[in-house]
Amino acid sequence: MSWNNGGPGGSGGGSRPGSGGESGGPSPWGNPGGPRPGPQRPDPKRPDPNRPSGGGPRGPWGGGGGGGQPPDLEELIARLQAFLRGFVPPGFGGGGGPRGGGGRGFPAGRGAALIAVLVVGAWLASGFYRVQPDEQGVVLRFGAYNRTTFPGLNYHMPWPIETVLRPAVTRSNRVEIGYRSQDAGPRGVASARDVTPEGLMLTGDENIIDINFTVFWRIRDAGAYLFATRNPADTVKSAAESVMREVIGRTPIQPALTDARAQIEAEVFKGVQAILDQYGSGVEITQVQLQKVDPPAAVIESFRDVQRAQTDAERLRNEAESYRNDIVPRARGDAARLLAEADAARQVSVTEATGQTQRFLSVLKSYDAAKDVTMQRLYLETMQDILTRTPAVIVDDQLKGVMPYLPLTGPGGLSAAPAATPAPQPAPRPAAAGASR
Amino acid sequence: MNRLSIALLALAAVVLIIGGSTLFTVRQTEQVLITQFGQPVRVITAPGLHAKIPLMQTAISFDRRLLDYALPPEEVILGDQRRLIVDGFTRFRITDPLRYYQAVGPTEEGIRTRLNSVVSSALRRVLGNEQLLNVLSSARGRIMATIRDQVNAEMKNFGVSIEDVRIRRADLPEENTQAILSRMQSERQRVAAQLRAEGAEAAAKIRADAERERTVLLAQARATADKLRGEGEAQAITIYADAFNKDPYFFKVWRTLQAYRDAFAAGTSRLVLTPGSDFLKMLRSAPTPEDAKPAP
Repeated sequence: MSWNNGGPGGSGGGSRPGSGGESGGPSPWGNPGGPRPGPQRPDPKRPDPNRPSGGGPRGPWGGGGGGGQPPDLEELIARLQAFLRGFVPPGFGGGGGPRGGGGRGFPAGRGAALIAVLVVGAWLASGFYRVQPDEQGVVLRFGAYNRTTFPGLNYHMPWPIETVLRPAVTRSNRVEIGYRSQDAGPRGVASARDVTPEGLMLTGDENIIDINFTVFWRIRDAGAYLFATRNPADTVKSAAESVMREVIGRTPIQPALTDARAQIEAEVFKGVQAILDQYGSGVEITQVQLQKVDPPAAVIESFRDVQRAQTDAERLRNEAESYRNDIVPRARGDAARLLAEADAARQVSVTEATGQTQRFLSVLKSYDAAKDVTMQRLYLETMQDILTRTPAVIVDDQLKGVMPYLPLTGPGGLSAAPAATPAPQPAPRPAAAGASR
Repeated sequence: MNRLSIALLALAAVVLIIGGSTLFTVRQTEQVLITQFGQPVRVITAPGLHAKIPLMQTAISFDRRLLDYALPPEEVILGDQRRLIVDGFTRFRITDPLRYYQAVGPTEEGIRTRLNSVVSSALRRVLGNEQLLNVLSSARGRIMATIRDQVNAEMKNFGVSIEDVRIRRADLPEENTQAILSRMQSERQRVAAQLRAEGAEAAAKIRADAERERTVLLAQARATADKLRGEGEAQAITIYADAFNKDPYFFKVWRTLQAYRDAFAAGTSRLVLTPGSDFLKMLRSAPTPEDAKPAP
């Protein structure tokens, strides 16, 4: 930047930037530092051929450096040429010297000039560079930030005047904390290896938790990324680790293991971005992803046992419920059966009673029509019916002295004969028909 | 001609040497201190091409970026006498190259040593007044800011500004870790046992409840059933009574006769009768029309 403003615009004196840039190249800046030192080292011992060839490459400059500042460059070149022209003794000069008349005087000079032209041409051409689609070009002039260029073919002034850095700005970078992913494996299975002390963190309720997480970031501002902090990638990692521990440090273990994951991710995202912004690092966090949140390996078995216990409890409850679902409906069925039976019994009683009474009433009706006769008839019919089926012994109760003799055998013969002794039965009307058994 | 080219080469060499020792670049990431015979004369912070007096002046470059320094883990004692292993990192910037140079020299090594002791003591001082629960809480930000400010105040004379001091890890020492792990384990065992017991409790409750429900259902059903039966009987009795009360005497006769018939239906009994009974009366004496009067 100082070059742009101060250098060319200032004095054309001895400390001209042009001469410094050109001749000073090899010695003081032996370490160019830039990632793109010109592959061909310019030969500063032959400044003269620079002049004629100067016009040639100018065309491509204008075209190639479209994104940059072509007027500035041309101005620079023009000054360089002017300077050189003034520097070279007039006798030697004669722009066309090497090509035209000069060659006659020095046969060797012609070849040397040709080589010089080629060398200078190559030097100038070394300023072309390509910016890939995922990159930005950051052009430094004498170490100072000068401009940013964009994907495509670009030109910068050859080393040591300008150098270019090409950070991959659209690429998403990842930082893994608590583990390192391994793409290895002859089986082609990518696996994650724990880095234990890094992933173990103290939670808010003084438990320990094992966390693996990944932070994705990209370059938001190439200039800031390159120049504001030393080691930005490491800064992302340190900040992420610090913030994650801070966030976990105020989260109890149970939520951290279960439902606070999204919240943790969001808080870490915000915290890391705030730190990186505070550093002016030009880095943008795109995502914070919790990979694994587990209790430490030493106690994970007990945590799993709690889950098993939950399942067990659930199972017991389900079994009991299935038992209930088995017996209660059955009981309802039994109850319904009991009720139905009772109802049936009730109806039977009523129906029977109704039937009996109907019969009685019918009989009564007939009886009312002829009481005496009917009663007699009923009595006689009944007695007849009974006595036709039941053997009977007839004893005259007036034969006092005669011992009634009952055969103890026979179809109706029973040992109950003494009970049938009619001796104590002086009833004059034995219509009651004493039962003998 | 030959002479001319030699002169030219010599001239070029001179330009090269003078230019090389005069001009120097300051990179975007650097700032430069110019010393003259060891005496600091000026500081250049603007990047780009700069000049100095050759041979007399020397350019010493310092980083202008935010620099990182990671603190090694160390054990500190908190305000509640708990011990904590803490490591962290510091981000600082060289703001005054001259002072920096005077204090620790041209390399970064010196400042690291200083930073280490200053940050370490600030860490102990600040954390020594804090409870563990504060460190494990949102107060951590405040604690870190306090440490940063203290370090900043102490490092002012070193030409650096401390942009940030952050605690990274804050872990309990190994033996406490073991204790925590076993506590976590027993805690989980407690929860597991409780869950299982609660499951059993719920299961027993459900079973008992189900059995109660069954028993009650059946008892209620029996009660209702008995009531129904009773109703039936009552209705039957009413029906009988209503009907039989129409002529109780006839009912008695009719029913008695029916009972006789039923009782002797099997024909296994033996009757001892006297000729005096109503049925056999006519065996002894022939009926006369006068007998019609006293009906039994």
